[in-house]
Amino acid sequence: MADASTLEITADVERLKDVRRFVRERAPALGADEASVGDLVQAVDEWVTNVILHGYRGSPGPIEIELAREGEEVVVRVRDEAPAFDPAAAPAFDPGLPLERRPLGKMGLHLIRELCDRFEYRIPAGGGNEIELGRSARGPKLNGGSA
Amino acid sequence: MNTTVDRPSAGVAVLGLDGELDASNYRELIERGQALYAEGARRLILDLSRLTYMSSSGIVALHSLALVFRGQQPPDPEAGWSAFHAVSSDAAGGEAVDQVRLVAPAPSIAANLARTGLDRILPIFPDLEAALAA
Repeated sequence: MADASTLEITADVERLKDVRRFVRERAPALGADEASVGDLVQAVDEWVTNVILHGYRGSPGPIEIELAREGEEVVVRVRDEAPAFDPAAAPAFDPGLPLERRPLGKMGLHLIRELCDRFEYRIPAGGGNEIELGRSARGPKLNGGSA
Repeated sequence: MNTTVDRPSAGVAVLGLDGELDASNYRELIERGQALYAEGARRLILDLSRLTYMSSSGIVALHSLALVFRGQQPPDPEAGWSAFHAVSSDAAGGEAVDQVRLVAPAPSIAANLARTGLDRILPIFPDLEAALAA
């Protein structure tokens, strides 16, 4: 791994703008083009929002965001100490549903899968959650995300 | 995010959004729309031309406002995963919601409206004049 950089925040929706600024500033230095930066900014924002609102449920807790270049991908790892939440266990979002039958939420995970080539989840040895997002550094994304 | 309100007629409100819409401020947008509905507005035009970023929290706000302007009470979006069930009503039947109109979203925001299917529910206009005239 080379050129990794890390941002640590305490869970608070007011810090989301700092998370976006971190990705916007650091991803280009790792070779990400405009499309890749935009996709990563949104994908990271969506996951960190989930951690703050549904992981820590409004309580303060640490969130660490690490950005690195690995091969053709910009890779983002996000770690937290909130109760485990496997995104693969969440019901899939159906963008075709009419207004009154749409769930009011769940779109964040759907967008992450749409925006990234890779979306992997694991529970670290000490508990909490860790995701790894991979997005090709240049051009349109190449594959569908999974987790 | 800063907002501006214009009332071109008694039943119409134009709400301009300037900046970034995310989980830190989307509830303010819902409350702003609810207040306009309570004041008598029955059509809400959301001018997105100066909105530079919108997360899925913003999509939740637009969804909630669509329900408000259909005369319904939206569920609490922060009630947790357990609340993320389908809103139970068969009234919609898939038709567009003409009471809430979107104006000039940036390409990245328009792409997310498409990814979440909201572009098939809320009409999108290229400029304010078109949204007011339709």
